[in-house]
Amino acid sequence: MASLITVKDVLKVFRSGEKTIHALDQISFEVDEGSFVSIVGPSGCGKSTLLKIISGLLASNSGTIRVNNHQVDRPLENVGMVFQSPVLLKWRSVLGNIMLPVEFAKLDRDRHLETARSLIQLVGLQGFEEMYPFELSGGMQQRVSLCRSLVTDPQILLMDEPFGALDAMTRDELDLELLRIWEERKKTVLFVTHNIQEAVFLSDYVVVMSARPGRLLKKLRIDLVRPRTLEMLSSSQFGEYTLQIRGMLTSASKIPDAAIGSTT
Amino acid sequence: MKSSVKNIAEPLVFFAVLLLLWEFLVRMTDVPDFILPPPRDLYTAFTENLYVITIHSVVTFAEAVGGFALSFILGVGFAISVVYSRHLQNTIYPLIVILYAMPKSALAPLMVIWIGYGMFSKMSIAFLVAFFPIVVNTVVGLKEVEPELLDLARINRASQFDIFTKIRLPNSLPYLFAGVKVALILSVTGAIVAEFVAANQGLGYLIMQALYSLDTALTLVILFILALLSLGLFMAVQVLQRKIAPWSSEVRQVEGSF
Repeated sequence: MASLITVKDVLKVFRSGEKTIHALDQISFEVDEGSFVSIVGPSGCGKSTLLKIISGLLASNSGTIRVNNHQVDRPLENVGMVFQSPVLLKWRSVLGNIMLPVEFAKLDRDRHLETARSLIQLVGLQGFEEMYPFELSGGMQQRVSLCRSLVTDPQILLMDEPFGALDAMTRDELDLELLRIWEERKKTVLFVTHNIQEAVFLSDYVVVMSARPGRLLKKLRIDLVRPRTLEMLSSSQFGEYTLQIRGMLTSASKIPDAAIGSTT
Repeated sequence: MKSSVKNIAEPLVFFAVLLLLWEFLVRMTDVPDFILPPPRDLYTAFTENLYVITIHSVVTFAEAVGGFALSFILGVGFAISVVYSRHLQNTIYPLIVILYAMPKSALAPLMVIWIGYGMFSKMSIAFLVAFFPIVVNTVVGLKEVEPELLDLARINRASQFDIFTKIRLPNSLPYLFAGVKVALILSVTGAIVAEFVAANQGLGYLIMQALYSLDTALTLVILFILALLSLGLFMAVQVLQRKIAPWSSEVRQVEGSF
């Protein structure tokens, strides 16, 4: 498979007044088309920043991002985004929220209305089309957000801790749903999380990052059969992967200089 | 159902008891009428002066609502231009902030000289006190948009016009309504204060006239009328908000001043 996203030597530094914060330090990895890749690391390691740089919403200080062999120098067009909070418009119904990207991009309304309805079916929200966000639970709101990211049929899905604010049971449920959608719609997914189990469960590859400055510790291939089931969570193979990643993160954080020396 | 009856009956009983207590205390203590008249006198003052009160109420109402309407149109317009224009933000906004810091009621005598003795000078004070809560709330409402929504807009190549009409403007509605509620109450206050300074009509004028003849009962009646007037305006806005933006729960409001 050809690589769809190429991240090369990306470096990002934030400056606020006297302080310099090294967010990302020489990150390089590739994402194959159609694969599911998670980025995992401790809070504040720059995972979200990295996702923003890949989407073209934020510029890096050095290094390049290539998507479809084109250098990214402005916001990507063929991506859908899901954020940690659902960020729905309070004044729009479920259907109205899902159609927002279509209206923004001035795409054909009727054709996408059909897509929106099929997505609503896909995530099991039929009957809720005319409800407003405040009438929905957190999990349902995040489903709407997922539909909204898929309505323009993007090639890439960028997800920034999308289920991080949900309770464990709802998260498991949505993880399974996401995998089902991913297998059905053939998207390339880049998924940021701080939950190691979730990363292993979902992904073909897990990109493990260290605490600030965010460095790439390893891109780990996850050889669990698909479709994945919740039973796999208790398999020994699954346990080995999570243990391995936890080990990497722990040993990385045992070098305090790496973290302290970065903020001067 | 039972609790809703209770919610109406309880305050009614409470106020009835309060009035009885008032009447009782005045009789017991022999306070002179010009200091605290009994509620019965208030009723007499109200029925005897009904015509006069109505006429002057209309004047004050017109001044307050007129000033408010002007502050709404100019305030929202100004808020939008400040959010979109750096030049305005650097020039006019500081000027507005200085004006904001002035006690607007102290401008009332000046307005009489500049605009005259009639209703327009009262309207101008009502406008001035109502303007700031509208502007400040609208600016906050237009600006406080979740950054992720703007990311979403950028990814989908949304036009500035779309961002304004589909995100910023509806987002500002709850804030705007909060501002309108404050502004309406303040505009009534503004009109009254301006009438205190120089006027020959309006409830503020009537209060001054009543006080000259130590008619405390009439003064108190007018105060209650003013409370009802403000309350009526407030509730009208509340109803309007539920109609236009039922999704907007109460958003914290920014202070107004006068």
